[in-house]
Amino acid sequence: MHQDKKLHVRDIILLALIGIIFGAIFMGTDFIYNALTVVLTPIGLAPMANDLMMGLWIMAGPLAGFMLRLPGTAFLGEFLAAVGEMFFGGQWGAATLISGVVQGVAAELGFTLTGYKYYNWVTLGLSTITSTVLTFAWDMFKNGYSAFHLQLLIILFIARLISIFIFGGVFVKLITNLLNRAHVLVAR
Amino acid sequence: MNPSLKLLTVLLASLEISFTYNTAANLLIVVTASIYLISHRIRWRALMWLLVVPLIPAVGLFTTIYFFGAHQLATAVALFTRMYAYVFAGAAFTLTTSPLVLAHSLEQNCHLPSKFAYGTLAAFNMLPKIKTTILTIKNAAAMRGVTLSWWSPRLYFKAILVAITWSENLAQAMISHGFVEGQPRSTYSVVRVTASDIGWTIGLLVLLQAPIVWAGLH
Repeated sequence: MHQDKKLHVRDIILLALIGIIFGAIFMGTDFIYNALTVVLTPIGLAPMANDLMMGLWIMAGPLAGFMLRLPGTAFLGEFLAAVGEMFFGGQWGAATLISGVVQGVAAELGFTLTGYKYYNWVTLGLSTITSTVLTFAWDMFKNGYSAFHLQLLIILFIARLISIFIFGGVFVKLITNLLNRAHVLVAR
Repeated sequence: MNPSLKLLTVLLASLEISFTYNTAANLLIVVTASIYLISHRIRWRALMWLLVVPLIPAVGLFTTIYFFGAHQLATAVALFTRMYAYVFAGAAFTLTTSPLVLAHSLEQNCHLPSKFAYGTLAAFNMLPKIKTTILTIKNAAAMRGVTLSWWSPRLYFKAILVAITWSENLAQAMISHGFVEGQPRSTYSVVRVTASDIGWTIGLLVLLQAPIVWAGLH
């Protein structure tokens, strides 16, 4: 977009808008989460709804990082999405903010590991792994995962990894491919 | 109460109960938040809605832990009530605070750079337009026989293109209204931190420690 390596008010507006767009599109997907929970509860896998949906919830972070290509943008994209969700229709309130910080740091780490130099599949792969590990660690406390059996934990971890890879990896790559073809992503 | 301090109280309380399995502490938050909301004349329907919202995930978590997991009733009940504590604490903040007042407070009381305070605010004020734009994109595609759903990358692509244009227009508009990044600003609505704000923050957080310390002693 522009050349200097500092966030300007335009970038901040764009980051917040991206977060709100994702929030607005996902507003209709709450019923999927609730339906998944209802279906999974009788077989003792209710928390899996959380893991299966995780990919959707973390998409803003990697996309923002990929688009703006500056340190901190993946974090801000995800965090501002959480701020928006907190005010407009998010059911989890302030806990959303804490999750937003965890997810933001997790997404950002993937980009940090590449030194903000590479923007390709490796970056999204790294971001997928850091997001899965960090959000899972947070859910050990927040959603009481530490009270589960190891076998269940492994199933949940794999479900989350797949979900984050599909949405935070493949899906984000598809969107950025389109943006790339429209020449709105300029290498810094 | 000062918005920044209110947010801090809610965040610290939510963070603390995330690391403790304490039903009494969770219920204390639910009750305190309810009293606060009622004192702010929240409608009863909204309060009842807060009871319904976390029901499905809370029951799901409860059954997983009690019937399929460790069979510990105390842990399951603590996690069940914790879901409610999150929702009520969050509502106590969001239902009584507007984004505008929070942005003013964060800028004036917490020294958040003005570009973040006003940039985010500018974006959040576009929310109704974003909703209609997404609908427009979907309808325009439908007229050409293309269905764009939440799993269509093209929907996000088109929405992001609009966002890029808007972010440039909004930033230009702000600059032409005299907004300069990193410059000191005068304020027309001053948000103060009063002694009673600090007192309430400390008081509520100390109160929350009572059931947690009590559980630690027994």
